[in-house]
Amino acid sequence: MTAPPPHDHTGLPADMTLTDDAVAREAAQLDSIWRDGRGFWGWLTTVDHKSIGKRYIITAFLMFIAGGIEAAMMRTQLARPENTLLGPDRYNQIFTTHGTTMMFLFAVPIMTAMGLYFVPLMIGARNVAFPRLNAFGYWTYFVGVVFLYVSLFANTGPDAGWFSYVPLAGPQYSPGHRVDVWAQLVTYTEIAALCAAVNIIVTTFKMRAPGMSLNRIPLFVWAQLVVSFMIVFAMPAVATGSTLMLAADRAVNTQWFNPAEGGDALLWQHIFWFFGHPEVYIIFLPALGFVTPIVETFSRRPVFGYTALVMANITTAFFAFGLWVHHMFATPVPELGQSLFTAASMLIAIPTGVQIFCWIATLWLGRPELRTAMLFVLGFIFTFVNGGITGVMLASVAFDKQAHDTFFVVAHLHYVLLGGGVMPLFGAFYFWFPKIVGRMLDETIGKIHFWLFLIGVNLTFFPMHILGLEGMPRRVYTYLAATGWGPLNLVATAGAYIIALSVIAFLYNVLKSWRGGAPAGPNPWNSSGLEWAIPSPPPSYTFLHVPVVHSRHPLWEPAVDMPVVTGLRTDRREVLLTTAFDARPDSRHHAPGPSIWPLYLALCMGVMWIGSIFSPYFVLIATGLSAIGLVGWALQSTSTPGTERVATGDAVVELA
Amino acid sequence: MKALRPVSDVGGLPSVVFGQRSLMWWGTLGFMVIEGWTTALIFASYFYVRQNFEAWPPLQTPLPSLTIPTINLALMLASFIPAALAARAGKALDRAGVRRWLTVMSVLVVPTVVLRWWDLWALNVRWDTNAYGTAVWLLVGFHASLLLFDVGDTVGLTLFYWLKPMPAKSFSDASDNSMYWYFTVALWAAIYLIVYVGPRIF
Amino acid sequence: MHSLFDPSSPQARAVAGLWWWMLAVGGTVWLIVIVAMLWAAITRRQRRLSSDLVRLDDTAHVRTERVVTIASGITVAILIAFLAYDFTVGHALAQHPLRALTIDVTGHQWWWQVLYEDPDPSRQLVTANEIHVPVGVPIQFKLRAADVIHSFWAPSLNGKKDLIPGYTTTLWFQADTAGRYRGQCAEFCGLQHAKMAFYIVAEPKPKFAAWLAAASQAPASPSDPHLVYGQRVFLSAGCATCHTIAGTQARATVGPDLTHLGSRETLAAGTLANTRENLLRWIVDPGLWKPGVHMPAVPLSPPQQEALADYLESMK
Repeated sequence: MTAPPPHDHTGLPADMTLTDDAVAREAAQLDSIWRDGRGFWGWLTTVDHKSIGKRYIITAFLMFIAGGIEAAMMRTQLARPENTLLGPDRYNQIFTTHGTTMMFLFAVPIMTAMGLYFVPLMIGARNVAFPRLNAFGYWTYFVGVVFLYVSLFANTGPDAGWFSYVPLAGPQYSPGHRVDVWAQLVTYTEIAALCAAVNIIVTTFKMRAPGMSLNRIPLFVWAQLVVSFMIVFAMPAVATGSTLMLAADRAVNTQWFNPAEGGDALLWQHIFWFFGHPEVYIIFLPALGFVTPIVETFSRRPVFGYTALVMANITTAFFAFGLWVHHMFATPVPELGQSLFTAASMLIAIPTGVQIFCWIATLWLGRPELRTAMLFVLGFIFTFVNGGITGVMLASVAFDKQAHDTFFVVAHLHYVLLGGGVMPLFGAFYFWFPKIVGRMLDETIGKIHFWLFLIGVNLTFFPMHILGLEGMPRRVYTYLAATGWGPLNLVATAGAYIIALSVIAFLYNVLKSWRGGAPAGPNPWNSSGLEWAIPSPPPSYTFLHVPVVHSRHPLWEPAVDMPVVTGLRTDRREVLLTTAFDARPDSRHHAPGPSIWPLYLALCMGVMWIGSIFSPYFVLIATGLSAIGLVGWALQSTSTPGTERVATGDAVVELA
Repeated sequence: MKALRPVSDVGGLPSVVFGQRSLMWWGTLGFMVIEGWTTALIFASYFYVRQNFEAWPPLQTPLPSLTIPTINLALMLASFIPAALAARAGKALDRAGVRRWLTVMSVLVVPTVVLRWWDLWALNVRWDTNAYGTAVWLLVGFHASLLLFDVGDTVGLTLFYWLKPMPAKSFSDASDNSMYWYFTVALWAAIYLIVYVGPRIF
Repeated sequence: MHSLFDPSSPQARAVAGLWWWMLAVGGTVWLIVIVAMLWAAITRRQRRLSSDLVRLDDTAHVRTERVVTIASGITVAILIAFLAYDFTVGHALAQHPLRALTIDVTGHQWWWQVLYEDPDPSRQLVTANEIHVPVGVPIQFKLRAADVIHSFWAPSLNGKKDLIPGYTTTLWFQADTAGRYRGQCAEFCGLQHAKMAFYIVAEPKPKFAAWLAAASQAPASPSDPHLVYGQRVFLSAGCATCHTIAGTQARATVGPDLTHLGSRETLAAGTLANTRENLLRWIVDPGLWKPGVHMPAVPLSPPQQEALADYLESMK
């Protein structure tokens, strides 16, 4: 532990604590400034990261249910050979929508949504750096959700697979608007992800509590930070590929993917997987960020190997950008290139392995309590390590040429995403639900949920390994009885229903506990992070006073009181900015209040993307409409009454 | 909950700061990285499809013309001077200076958007002729959207400075606006060199 | 046979060997990790939620650090061994044979065109969906796509290779034992991706040579009036706008070559067993068996249908 930061005790008596009376007065004042507006309008205009984070999480989870219903339909179709429940046309729309929903509308958004809700809480900030951008990101995502599902019910659901390979997805082989829906939706949701990423990066760099230097940032926040950087470099690739190339090829006859005019079908695959592989880690790393605090709390000790875990996060992010060709081993990519990608794909197992070892070591050195959240962490390791090992197998070019595009890969990716993403996510729900809602989830139903989910996942996806090696390709709407794939498919379908049961148990638990759960109190698990220093659910202003941090585990400090900063204005939304590396207090920032413009601009973007499918003129119309919104947005930022202290050169000047 | 013990008072810290001390600077940087990276990916695609051609530009496709793009680049580079002066006036908290230099800057940058239309036709190829045409149109066209946004931002800020009493915070906005403009011009210089000049050299 | 578990070529056997080795090593690793985790969770378990923290013990910490370092080292060692093994297998598979029988395969939505290369273009044999190959001879495939991306995969013989518009890709193997090996398109290619299978029929060399000779002959013109009628239906009802039958005016290449259709074991790229009844059903309404198939249901009277089916089946 290092000495307290030098700014401590500036002109304040060393033993002063705030009286209850002063606390109550300030709380009321802050709440009147920070709370959302009233009624439906208030709901539409909120820029509070907690309100937005909560609706983001709920929307994304509804998408998990939608994607799950699609999965159940597919499994029902495949339960026996030559089933006729879903024809190929319907099946193709459903499997494409399943993949698109799960990747673009569930997994990435829910992981960033957890970050948008919790990062400010964990670093002692009252909001994210760009609250209106945050609202804009959510509304953009929301328009995307509505767009995809309206299209699906209008029989215009995308049907070329969640990676829409050209030329199948090109103008010639996919006439109509199904693939346009996919291409625009993807760009749309990537814009939402980019907004979230910039927000999380700047929030983490500039808004940490005083004393929270880089080596004290919670691992949850580290994971979000690293992933946000990955989003910044991965998402532009898919946005370029899907809107600027694929949609343009389809709408205005550009020639990116037409070999007859010098275009190239493999260019799409490179662009897509340059995004698509990091995407997996964009889902997986935040989930690992959930695991650490759960393991720490329920092992009753700090995690083993903090530095190793941070380094593992960063190296994983770097390697993740060097793996994309392993999705293309069956294409004519030069052999030497393939070998390099094989090596990189195996290397990434090392940081992942180190993280698993560190958590197991924490269990060994601690006194684990098997609460539901912890069970999900154990289930995560149980399931994910399997997926990791098959991942290393798939790095082999020779083996991949057999397993690629078969049910083996389907098994692998679901072990990784359900094991590595959804298991920790459920753990996180049990762990942080009390913070968001103020009530505990039921532990008994939680355990039923856990066991059903663990059994269901393994029963569904384990047989798929065998099916793949027995020659069953992925994305087939049916298969002949003579292939002999029937029995294992039936087992997989049974497993899928068990997963459905487990999710129903979870939903019941949430609905029951939302109103009737045991009150949680600020810190039900005796955990260590700053988010547990405030009431549950958090008040509108989150922190009454910005806390000062002296270690990685502020609430596990022996001190009897909580050091805080005073002096932020209470008559307007003001937040404290600190320096990027050592988090010394640097300036006060006036944060924007409620605004309708984020929603307005998101709708303009909707007009642009959706309209452009039908006519390029919508781009012009939407640009004009957006200009109005941007002016409104800018006018709101320029109207800030009161005097400011302006830092110019060495001096600070008071200015109206 | 533990009792709160104040250890530091931040009331004396500034509430308007410049450069990397301000949030807006970081946000602008973030979007610069995203836009720059997108351009880099389009460049990569440009070179990728180039492998499919024996000649570049392809046979029977003329070279791009240089006149208009060169004039446009010169105009953008000239606008660096008022942009730098506006940023400096912002840091000196000189309202009249910011307004003056933003106005000069607007006068110089608005024509660049108009010229951009002829930049596109100076490519001498249509976007749907072949993959070469597609690639160059996307590079120039994507930059056009950045240009439009940035010029709109500059003109809007200038108008605000004329029409409204601007708060102290806007001094910081003026300097961030200049930073974003340098970046947009730098991207154009790269596109100019690779798309318009490049095929003449190799 | 259609499975990585039944390898019938040196190529597939090498990959199967790699697979079993990876399964053994990977399975062991998984088991050790899970046992270590469960052991800790069970033996060190504490039943009650407590607010006390575990007192940190430096000796235990140093010991654990050593164990974690060793475990990470073992992970690296396993990965290096794996990489070495994989590169050996990959290198062996990448050695293309000097002399091989070359077969061009073109993927269509949703069937396979097969062409046996010959220096003399007039002796090139074209067929569809069933690929006869000699046992013990390297077979070199040149793979192309006519429309969208497909992937050529017969798991008992070798891994897959994509067929990509604008590219020609290659794949080779050498079948060890005679047999019928099933293969299937592995890259999603639209509505009937599921029903785009093919068969590789590996035969001893003499038998293959006999097949090749027979298949290269145009079928004899029918003499039976019923079959003559069938041929006339074929040529006049529109079938010939898409299909070829050697020795007739039907020379179109939109759909599969139907010369010697009667000798094939399946219809419609492995969708139906090749019987007269199935063929009849197929002609009446192809979309019933393969919804979305590009072949239209041509309106024919029942006698025309029967004659057509008999004619096609007669070409053995």
